[in-house]
Amino acid sequence: MKPAPFDYVAPRTIEEALRVLAEAGGGATVIAGGQTLMPLLNLRMSQPFILVDINGIEGFSGVTRIDGGTRIGPATRQADALQDTILARHLPAFVKALSHVGHHQTRNRGTVGGSIALGEPAAEMPATAVALGATIEIASVRGTRRVPAREFYVGPYMTVLEPDELVTGIVYPDWPESHHVLFREVAQRPGDFALVGMVGAAVVESGTVGRAGLAWFGMGPTPVAMVQLEAALVGKSLDDLDPDALAATAIADTAPFDDHHASAEYRRTVGRRTFARTLREALSLREPA
Amino acid sequence: MSEADPQAHGIGAARWIGKRVPRKEDARLLTGRGQYTDDVTLPGTLHVAFARSQIARGNIVSIDTSAALDIPGVHAMMLAKDIARQPLTMMSFFFTPSEVPITPLADGYVQYVGDPLALVIAETRAIAEDAAALIAVEYEELEPVVTIAQAMTGEPIHPDTDSNVSVEMGDDEVPEQLAATLEGAAHLITQTVIHQRISQAPMENRAVLATREGPEELTLYITCQSPHNIARWFSTALGLPEGAIRVIAKDVGGSFGLKNTPWKEECAVVCAAMLFPRPLKWTEDRYEALTASPQAREQEIKLDVAFDDEGRLLGAHSIYDCNNGAYPQGADANIAVHMFMWPAYKMPAYSFLSRGWYTNTNGLAAYRGPWAMESLVRETLLDKAARKIGIDPIELRRRNLVYLSDQPSTSSMGIPVDDITPGECLDKLIQHFDVPAFRREQAEARQQGRYLGLGIAAYIEPTGSAGSMAPMTGELAQVRIEPTGKVTATMSTHSQGHGTATTMAQCIADRLGVRYEDVTVYEGDNTRGGFGPGAAGSRQGVIGGGAAIRASEMLADKVKTLAAHLYNASVESVSIEEGMVHVAGAPEMSRPIGELANIAYGEPHRLPPEFEAGLEVQFRYQPPPMTMTSAAHACVVEVDAETGFVKILRWIASEDCGTVINPAVVEGQVAGGLAQAIGMVLLEDMPYDARGNPTAATFKDYLLPAITDVPVFEYVHANTPSKTIGGMRGVGEGGAIIGPPTLVNAIADALSPFGEIEELVLPLTPARILDVIEQRDVSGTRAHRHGTAVEVAQMADVPAPDPTSGQVPPVDAVVLPGGVHPAQDATIAGDWNMVLKTPMGPQAMKAHFDVEGGALSGYLEAPEGRQDFSGGTWSDGNAKFNLAVEKPMKITLKYDLQLAGDAITGKCKMGMFGTAKVSGERS
Repeated sequence: MKPAPFDYVAPRTIEEALRVLAEAGGGATVIAGGQTLMPLLNLRMSQPFILVDINGIEGFSGVTRIDGGTRIGPATRQADALQDTILARHLPAFVKALSHVGHHQTRNRGTVGGSIALGEPAAEMPATAVALGATIEIASVRGTRRVPAREFYVGPYMTVLEPDELVTGIVYPDWPESHHVLFREVAQRPGDFALVGMVGAAVVESGTVGRAGLAWFGMGPTPVAMVQLEAALVGKSLDDLDPDALAATAIADTAPFDDHHASAEYRRTVGRRTFARTLREALSLREPA
Repeated sequence: MSEADPQAHGIGAARWIGKRVPRKEDARLLTGRGQYTDDVTLPGTLHVAFARSQIARGNIVSIDTSAALDIPGVHAMMLAKDIARQPLTMMSFFFTPSEVPITPLADGYVQYVGDPLALVIAETRAIAEDAAALIAVEYEELEPVVTIAQAMTGEPIHPDTDSNVSVEMGDDEVPEQLAATLEGAAHLITQTVIHQRISQAPMENRAVLATREGPEELTLYITCQSPHNIARWFSTALGLPEGAIRVIAKDVGGSFGLKNTPWKEECAVVCAAMLFPRPLKWTEDRYEALTASPQAREQEIKLDVAFDDEGRLLGAHSIYDCNNGAYPQGADANIAVHMFMWPAYKMPAYSFLSRGWYTNTNGLAAYRGPWAMESLVRETLLDKAARKIGIDPIELRRRNLVYLSDQPSTSSMGIPVDDITPGECLDKLIQHFDVPAFRREQAEARQQGRYLGLGIAAYIEPTGSAGSMAPMTGELAQVRIEPTGKVTATMSTHSQGHGTATTMAQCIADRLGVRYEDVTVYEGDNTRGGFGPGAAGSRQGVIGGGAAIRASEMLADKVKTLAAHLYNASVESVSIEEGMVHVAGAPEMSRPIGELANIAYGEPHRLPPEFEAGLEVQFRYQPPPMTMTSAAHACVVEVDAETGFVKILRWIASEDCGTVINPAVVEGQVAGGLAQAIGMVLLEDMPYDARGNPTAATFKDYLLPAITDVPVFEYVHANTPSKTIGGMRGVGEGGAIIGPPTLVNAIADALSPFGEIEELVLPLTPARILDVIEQRDVSGTRAHRHGTAVEVAQMADVPAPDPTSGQVPPVDAVVLPGGVHPAQDATIAGDWNMVLKTPMGPQAMKAHFDVEGGALSGYLEAPEGRQDFSGGTWSDGNAKFNLAVEKPMKITLKYDLQLAGDAITGKCKMGMFGTAKVSGERS
């Protein structure tokens, strides 16, 4: 378990990082916290010839308020984000999900951007970005672009990122302060990837759902936005909500898989229940009608 | 102050046995000062990495090492033919040579994914791995045999074998009388258990640093279970004198059976080090450990038990199969499963068919309680029976357990039972757990849709084994009072985390009458003291402890003799307390023990006549062949009916390990075994895909129990001293044996409103628990196991493969090489080399037969001795004769042999152990 030989660069600026990525022609891999990449390198499942360490790039970590939202620097440590007061106030769903990412030790090193860019389908951070409607900021020597999280993921560990591109920030839109957080994860041990997981937010105004953003993790090859469910939910009066029927709608967009931890049928079955229970608890807790 | 124990020689007020003293090892280990094998570096050390097979089965067409050799820093590359320049015979745990050919590196063909093919020697491990990755192997790939079902019907994987059966024991047909009992019983309950394959997963993986120091001198740093046993194994395997091999293993981070015996990789490194002029180190990484280390379990059993109207046991029969992998550390049908299934219960009759199977998977090694299936299948069956018959599970056990008042007795397999306490442990357990209160709580919870369950299990375990199996001897204690008055002991015990430096020091301090702080125990180096097989089978507390106690008592006697002489007092009036030697009634005569030691070493003229100078004693303890430990455990769980998740709410262990040397060490052993039990029941799984690839290659997929999965255990110590010196009983394995049925029973109790766990397939993942709750195949297990029509037929027909299929010869069929038929005029008279496939592995022996008309006589000779027989018969190429043996227990061996040219095949009926295969050729 020693990595195959590679070169290592630690650029101080975005420009330098992008130039290295461009020159490497696909042979480079970006390292931030290394909590997933290091084992992959050691197992020789990943064999880049150059490793681009973005930890030292100025302005790459930290949380800032911007107009209508919150921006997280890609190299922000998960442990720091968990303690961040801006996130606690504006993105409670994000913080709740983050507390389930790995363990104390891995969160000290692991970064928000690393988890977003890796695209593990059973991980919390990509699904949270999809659920809350985040936008991924991307740069390369060819220019910059912004991709909605819902269009960012294309398969397991596969995103729309080109080999020369780098995630430079993640922007989460604001949700009204009174919004409800919906989160539940079913994992065999704390810190494990989810067998079934869901995350999201819902806004209820005068007894009616005004806005909803939800996504599954561990329920398909990518994080899965609950598009049909969101449409079914918005505009409905709380009195008219049938959580069990909505659960069937919520599960409709998923494509769960079999592995030796759980069958697809288990994920579907428990996914439905998880959804119904979470919806019931989240909405009745805050709105004891 | 404590009461004087008439057995105690130190007679001190301070007793150290039974105390929760801090471990001597901890300060060193907790501050990062441990010395594990990988911590050792020798000048000039080079590093080894292996190139391994990527396929499960195939012939090697070519191996191209040229690109690998071009890498700077690579010193050498060795293939099977290179390693073979240093001959080595790989042997089992029982020191028997393997029946199928095993070489350290794959020679001509590969038999499992991970089979080492080539060994690279380089400046660093990273360079060695770079080179290993460039070795190009061309295979002729063959269809792998992966599962037990495939082994039963597939072609033999090993050359020159007629089937994939590695060992077969027992009866392929239920004896007539027992069959009638099973058929006519009021209740016939069946339990099937499919136990997954697991990884021993010690914290410290396998590692070896080997250096040749001269023509016949080899030093090994190797993580192991006993440096003495490793030296003995390698000296036999390499044909070197034992004195030529020094083995050092100061600290070891867990083993659980894995490191009993060096296996392919360690052997390859040792051979390479004999051939290469620099020290070589190999430290197994976690990827190798999970995918290429020997593994454990993977067994299936179906047990039928007959009960009368009142739940009393009438008879039982089981069929057991074990996937041995390609190269097990001892081909194994796991006879101990059957030996220890029933001695704790009043079971009148039991028979079984037990088989091990070779497959193209990693070979099996021992794992904490290798026979644990007996407790798992029996205790889960008893709970199922209790539900089906309508008796309380505790009451069902009380009706059938063997209490002290029922002893001595002998089990239906011939195991003598005279001091077991499973019933007493159960009674003590129930005193600490209010069962009626729990049943009320359970009923109320069910009303709210919460599913609580209570699991109870009882068991016994053979521990401290010595004298009846090849490597299992007594243990040695060499105890000295140094001239300074400090006490040092060299022990043949060895710790893989057991804390023997602590518990042995407690035994010595207690019986010598010195302070625990003043005793230092040395182990971990075979050249330091005498032989002992160390850790294996829960034996060190029993045997090492007994040795330490008796040696200390002998040493105390020596001190007293000296003091009595010096102070002109009687030996009886001398006592030793906390390192001070006192004379009764003469407090002014009290002296530190060091003063006497000074005299004993330095002033020979002051010693009594015939008194050997110095203060040192050694004692080798040969205990009874087996010492039984008993226990009963209770566990309470809550099952989430929505997700199938299990939460363990409470766990109480009531165990009888006799005299407790250190409660914290005993509890640590129990807790460790229980943690592994929880892992086996809920989490751990090492599956292979259809091509024979292990699919849990990292700890992301191989789920070990974490601290959040293991509850705080409660302990009830039920101490019934054993008959050994000191009265200890072994406690190393018990948690891993009784833990699984306790937890499964709790889950099954919680699930009982929904239905039975009809077929217990481990691990009980949340999906498999939903199978019971929803009464449908949520997990896909049923579809996977009984998916196709062919598979269903095989599963349903495990007991008796069709003898006409020609795939698996029935036990009593005579297999004749090359279709040779017995010749009427050939004679069996003369000398033969025979092999008997015993439960401990194949046993080689010499046979001599004399024929006179139809009468047969002669002898069989094994290393243990020669046994003559007469009164046999010889007719039509068939020889029949009986041999009565005394060890390890009294049985009559009934041989039935068939002659075919210069070969003998046949069977040997071994009493309750069933039938074993015999083969032979003329010598």
